[in-house]
Amino acid sequence: MLRIQDLHVSVGGKPILDGLSLSVARGEVHAIMGPNGSGKSTLAGVLAGRPGYEVTSGSVTYEGRDLLSLPAEERARAGLFLGFQYPVEIPGVNNVYLLKAALNATRAAHGLPEVDAFEFLTLVRAKMQLMRMEDSFLSRGVNEGFSGGEKKRNEILQMLVLEPRLAILDETDSGLDIDALKVVAAGVNSLRAPERSCVLVTHYQRLLEYVVPEQVHVLVRGRIVRSGDKGLALELERRGYDWVSGAAA
Amino acid sequence: MSSALTARIAEDYAASVRTRAAAEETPRLAALAALLREDLPGNRDENWRYASLRGLERLRFAPVAASALAGAALPPPVAGFERHVFIDGRRAPQLSAAGSAALAPIGPQPERARSADQRFALLNDAFAPEGAALTVRGDAQLELIFLAHGPADAGASYPRIGVRVAPGARLELIERHLSTGTAGSFVTSLAEIELERDASLAHYRLQDLSRDSTFFDTLLARLAAGASYQLHGISTGARAARSTQQIELAGEASALRMALVALGDGAQVQDGFAQVQHRAPRARTEQLFRGIAAGRARVAFNGKIVVAAGASGTDSQQSLRGLLAGAGAEIDVRPQLEIYTDEVRCSHGATTGKLDENMLFYLLSRGLDPQTAQRLLKWAFLADAFARIGIPQLRQQIESSLAAGLKDEALKELL
Repeated sequence: MLRIQDLHVSVGGKPILDGLSLSVARGEVHAIMGPNGSGKSTLAGVLAGRPGYEVTSGSVTYEGRDLLSLPAEERARAGLFLGFQYPVEIPGVNNVYLLKAALNATRAAHGLPEVDAFEFLTLVRAKMQLMRMEDSFLSRGVNEGFSGGEKKRNEILQMLVLEPRLAILDETDSGLDIDALKVVAAGVNSLRAPERSCVLVTHYQRLLEYVVPEQVHVLVRGRIVRSGDKGLALELERRGYDWVSGAAA
Repeated sequence: MSSALTARIAEDYAASVRTRAAAEETPRLAALAALLREDLPGNRDENWRYASLRGLERLRFAPVAASALAGAALPPPVAGFERHVFIDGRRAPQLSAAGSAALAPIGPQPERARSADQRFALLNDAFAPEGAALTVRGDAQLELIFLAHGPADAGASYPRIGVRVAPGARLELIERHLSTGTAGSFVTSLAEIELERDASLAHYRLQDLSRDSTFFDTLLARLAAGASYQLHGISTGARAARSTQQIELAGEASALRMALVALGDGAQVQDGFAQVQHRAPRARTEQLFRGIAAGRARVAFNGKIVVAAGASGTDSQQSLRGLLAGAGAEIDVRPQLEIYTDEVRCSHGATTGKLDENMLFYLLSRGLDPQTAQRLLKWAFLADAFARIGIPQLRQQIESSLAAGLKDEALKELL
């Protein structure tokens, strides 16, 4: 599904990712953990095509395609989804419009006709129920005036509607209380399927109690210094990042 | 001071005067004399720096001859609104509702003193062939459509209205400026508004003239105590458009809410100057401007609020925003505040910038193509200016014609 090889990325001339390699197989959930400033969000941004990053060397293939050569919107239409750490507020564009435009863009890329208005609303309402979101949310501006938790739930809702093949969730768990975390986790789990993969970028192992990953990687100073199963997350929680930081020096 | 321009104005006046009765001439001559003395504004004038004025040298000032247009493609009617149509400033009964109690021809006008920023009003004073006087008692809903038909090389079009809303009365007024001619027109319009005690006016002004037209607009309004004025302006048309709006909050606790939108594309120039004078205590102003300049267009807005001595308890808010959407485009947004009294609450914010990169990336990351994403964000930028249009049908008309202007079918789904 996703293969990152020796990726080097700079921001404003400053190297952030320093030879990162990672493979995610179809159907797998991988967690990327690491201290602040280790490059987690840079990795998520580079994969989704956010401008401002300079890839100095390395490669990323996604479903056999050279991911880095595609503009952001084509990555999205090819089934890649980024759940934002800080979802953007767009007053004046309502949620239902964005959901529909996004879904239709992906459908069009696959030669499918636009979604029927009734079917669309039925689909969205079902997903909203899962995310415990009220109907009035549809007519509100995208993330406008949403609380931190609502924004994150909205990211997951978009993901559920778009049904991506590869979801990259950038600290979707941060700022959530335990109830919201469970709702978000249920949303992520509902999408787990043999043909889908997920990369969870997170600080804490708390989310991983609800969304159990196949693999956990620790990112320190731009490269993965340790990989393991979910036990690694627990150990990190117990021993702190200092434990692995030494290994990167 | 006289110039080649004023010499021609005088010459064109002399040519037009033959068609009028002598009694009418006194106030017109006074306006002409003032124009000859003052000259038309130039870009060196403080409040005219960004206006497109050069084209004036090629224009004719005498009113274009009356044309008897049997039919015209007009916007769909707005339910409940009585429609009156004017062609080059003259009422066109064949396109209008039958006689209205509220609407009458403007009679001979008294001579008026005009300030330096009202020199295009003087032009209208001198030349307007007729005008409409609207007096409202009780409640009324009217739509006035001013069609510019005659070509600029044959003369000018002078729409003119005087509106008086009696104490406690309420008026909703739609004022449209549209083109029906095959060549661009030269339009100099004037609206004078008097809101008496506790009167209320919701005024929707839509300028969508053809892209080869020239438009100079003056709006003068005065609010008595307790009066409330909601002014929505949407300026999208003409090659060169300039709107001068001077509003006086003369009575205690009067309230003004302005929401102005200007869109420029290609080589358009959209220039606006809005001056609000607070002269009485406890009056309120909310001024909102949203401008988008695409292509090589220039969009400028100067919003000036003056709080006179004695206007204590004034509450004014300005929110002026410009969006630059073209490499060769220019935006100039300027808030000005002059306060000559204590105990006021005045806030202003002005920003100009390009589309927000984070918003753009968010939309792209959801699969929207860059063009759609950009249009959507332009739309969102304007949204709060439209949110307050109180006539749902009109709002829908405006939004869908703007969606067409932004060339995006998909936007219509938003509405």
